[in-house]
Amino acid sequence: MIRLPVSLFLAVVMLLGLVTGGPAHAARSSQAVPPDDVESEDTGLDLLREAAIAGRSRGYSGTRYVTVWGTSGSTSAVQEVRNAPGVGLTVRAEPSGHTQNADPGTLAGGLSSPSGTMLEVLARNYRVVEAGEGRACGRAARLVNVLRADGTLAARYWIDRAAGPVLRRELLDTRGRIVHTAAFVDLTVQPPAPARGTAPAAATAGMATGGLDLGQIPRLRADGWRFPLALPGGLELFSAHRAPAGHVYLGYSDGLSVVSVFIQHGALDEERLRDWHAERRNGHTIWIRDPVGQETIWASGGHVYTVFADAPADMADAAVAALPHEPVPDLWARLGRGASRVLSWVNPFE
Amino acid sequence: MSHLGERVSALVDGELNHHERDRALAHLTSCAPCRAEVDAVRALKSRLRSLDGPAMPTDLTMSLLRMSEPGGPLPPRERPFPAPRTFAGAPIPSMHSVAPPDNRPRGRAGGRPRRARRAGYVAVGVASAAVAIGTLFVVGGTDPNPRVVPPVDMFANQHRNTAPYGGSATPTFSPTP
Repeated sequence: MIRLPVSLFLAVVMLLGLVTGGPAHAARSSQAVPPDDVESEDTGLDLLREAAIAGRSRGYSGTRYVTVWGTSGSTSAVQEVRNAPGVGLTVRAEPSGHTQNADPGTLAGGLSSPSGTMLEVLARNYRVVEAGEGRACGRAARLVNVLRADGTLAARYWIDRAAGPVLRRELLDTRGRIVHTAAFVDLTVQPPAPARGTAPAAATAGMATGGLDLGQIPRLRADGWRFPLALPGGLELFSAHRAPAGHVYLGYSDGLSVVSVFIQHGALDEERLRDWHAERRNGHTIWIRDPVGQETIWASGGHVYTVFADAPADMADAAVAALPHEPVPDLWARLGRGASRVLSWVNPFE
Repeated sequence: MSHLGERVSALVDGELNHHERDRALAHLTSCAPCRAEVDAVRALKSRLRSLDGPAMPTDLTMSLLRMSEPGGPLPPRERPFPAPRTFAGAPIPSMHSVAPPDNRPRGRAGGRPRRARRAGYVAVGVASAAVAIGTLFVVGGTDPNPRVVPPVDMFANQHRNTAPYGGSATPTFSPTP
């Protein structure tokens, strides 16, 4: 008679364990791996954000070289860079000595401090991950890799470990070749200025929020301008406006590369294109100036397109190919124009 | 019965009726002059039947054969009225027309003059086309769009000094180097 209550008690305990065990295990599992870490793989995005803030808020000076490789050559430049908080970034080109004030979020400023919106676009198109530590220009650095969807490396960043700016930045094409490098060869970073107010407020003050400049698109469409909202390679339109000079400016970027498209109304006067050489692509004539193929001009459908790219060669070529390339009006077009004029002369209703 | 006279020829041709022929034959038995005249008429007719038909002149034969060829020239027509009636440009034959209208298909007949005329037509056509094309080419003029050269230095400056995703703030450009 004693065995029955004991066995009954064990059975009740096991049944309760089966009923309550599943959810309890699930709860323990969810507590073991925080959901935020699982969903967010951009572990290096905060480092880029901090470097962008430092590029604007920290004082530093140094020498930076920039090299771009293209399909038929390369170009290099040496710059003396000085940033003073509250004053801005000054870039002096060597050996020409040309000095300009540049925003650190622009190509002239080395894209060392991209806006928050651009970093969001970068994270949308790529995976931004921490890649350990290293050294650049004699300073300790933290590495950030930017990976494509297929896992190949698209860019590498060396970020100053002492809360400084980006020390070195490399872009790679889809075949793993370095196509763009901007790196300090020597750098002096000033001590951080005493923070005013709370730390997050100071960080926010040094970060350019940024945004889109697409408000003129409906009016441009109504005026007959035709352009795509995106280009191959994840290049998204971030700016479209008509300049006072009459041309239309279009800016595309995927968070890493930048492609600018300028459209003018008219026919290209090829005889006055000096220092440019013609190249045939898919039956169309394209004019190229620089040895790396990042500057191109062509005519299409009564418009002249000028493209400046800061991107891998394959991406720049794909962007150029995706824009309009209508055949140049030939003899038949001229004869047709003459026929329409003659008909207009004899047409009494015109 | 008197002599046969004009009935000699009718008798030789067999044109007298039965009664007249009997009376004529009865007269011949007793009239030598009439019998001699009948013999003479019969001899003459016999000789005429033995003669050949008249020969066709050679040039007339060739002219008739040439008329049978397609597209060949027709002999001049004799028109009784100065203004012939036409319908849609084609002459209408009238009851007084001497020759029917020339509606035969044009053929290959024709020598050097026809070939030369054809070459003339081609030359005139080519010249007309050249004049028309030249006129359209000149009237068409050059491309009405203005000829432009991109201000590449200004564009490069804008490219380098525009902050991607920097918002709608107008960038400030430094002077062109």
